[in-house]
Order: sequence, then structure tokens, then C-alpha cells
Amino acid sequence: MTSMHIEREQANGEVVLKVAGRLDTPHAKPFETSLMDVVSMTDGSIVINLAGVDYVSSSGLRALLVAGKAMRNSKRRLSLMSLQPQIREVFDISGFSTLFEIS
Amino acid sequence: MMTPPAAGTLISALRVGADIESISQVTSWLADLAEREEWPMAMRFGLELSVEEALTNVISYGFDGIAHDPVIRLEVHRMAEGRVAVELIDNGAAFDPTTLAEPEAVDTIDAAKVGGHGVQLMRHFLESLTYRRQGEENHLTMVAVPRSR
Repeated sequence: MTSMHIEREQANGEVVLKVAGRLDTPHAKPFETSLMDVVSMTDGSIVINLAGVDYVSSSGLRALLVAGKAMRNSKRRLSLMSLQPQIREVFDISGFSTLFEIS
Repeated sequence: MMTPPAAGTLISALRVGADIESISQVTSWLADLAEREEWPMAMRFGLELSVEEALTNVISYGFDGIAHDPVIRLEVHRMAEGRVAVELIDNGAAFDPTTLAEPEAVDTIDAAKVGGHGVQLMRHFLESLTYRRQGEENHLTMVAVPRSR
């Protein structure tokens, strides 16, 4: 329950990251590091599937924003998918729903 | 004289260190209480999030340049009509998060600032967020109410 992990898949030229667990303060830094590794090691679009994420705090949002800014700087597409309702609520309140492409 | 932290019944208390590992410790403690007290899922999520945001602030900034040993305590109080109050008490630098301004709304990722969303989320998920400085301690009281999504 108090963990976080990422699975990486390659599909149709884009990288899909399936994230599971908690994006809280203790896990945000390792999450950000893993994300930024993928950003620097690949050159196409990235999709982050958040279906397995049941908790996100502002620390987790911050990690996503750092990755989002890096992708934007290199003119690549970053999108998020399958947000659980409580995660969607956090995105809506913080204004992140308008910053990210979400499907 | 001590002011009562919150009118209600104290059901649990915990003392933690001023380090990031404390957050996982507090998360497990709250999860156990949530099970035992049968908190509705939405209220549990809001409380967990608010407590984490507040505690992260205290741990990250509250003891910068402070010479004495950090003491951080949390108390959970059962309140009327299913409400729950969590009081976070620390002996760090005086800091009132209720006065923080919310981040400016932006519509592009370039304009977005990293950070500053914690208090915005707390205000949304809590019924009330109140602060008082009592002696050498910060007391932050977070009250959540059962709600339907």
C-alpha cells in the first residue's frame, strides 16, 4: 500500500508508463527521477497511465509538472490517462487538469 | 491556560521525527484509524492529503535554523456528526499556513510554477483549517467532514 512502481511499455512509437501506488512526498522524488530518466532516454511521446495510482499530493503533482516542463521544452507530447476520481479531483482543484492533456 | 485544541474526544496521538520517513509512518497510522473508525473514503483521502501537506511543510521548513530538538505531535479527535479533527503540533518556527496565498491560475505548462498547491488542496478538502501559536508551538487544526462525492 505504501509503495510506488512504474512499468514501461513501448507501443506505436510512444512510451507508455503504467504507474501504480502512491504519489506522496516520500515517493515523489524517486517518481520524478524515474520519469526524467525516461524523458532523457527516449525522444518520442510519453503517456502516463495513472489507473493504478490511488493517491497524489502536491509533491506528486510537482514531479509531473517537472516532467511536463521538460517535455514541453523539447517539443514532445506528454499525456496522462485513466485518472481515478479522487486523483481527478486533485487535478481539478490545483488547475493541473488544464495544464495536461488527459484522456 | 491551555485552550482545548478542538472540542471532541481524543482517540489517538502520535509523535514523529522531523524527517520524510515520518510521512509514511503517519500515513499508516491514519489508515489504521480510518479502518477502525470507519471513515468514509472521501473524508479519509482529504484528511490524509491535508495532513501530509501540513507535515511536509513543517518537516521541510519548520526547523531551518532552529537549535532545539524538534518535537512534532499529531492528535486525532472524534467530533460531532462524523467530523474528524487532526491537530498538528510542532515546536518549529512560527508559521501560519492559513495566510498563504494560492498559486495564480495559469493555463500553460510553461507559466505554471512548481509548488504552492498544498494549501489550496487543504482548503478544498477540509471543512476548516485553523492555526494558533501557543507558547513555543504551532497548532494547526484540520477538520474534515463526511461528504458524498
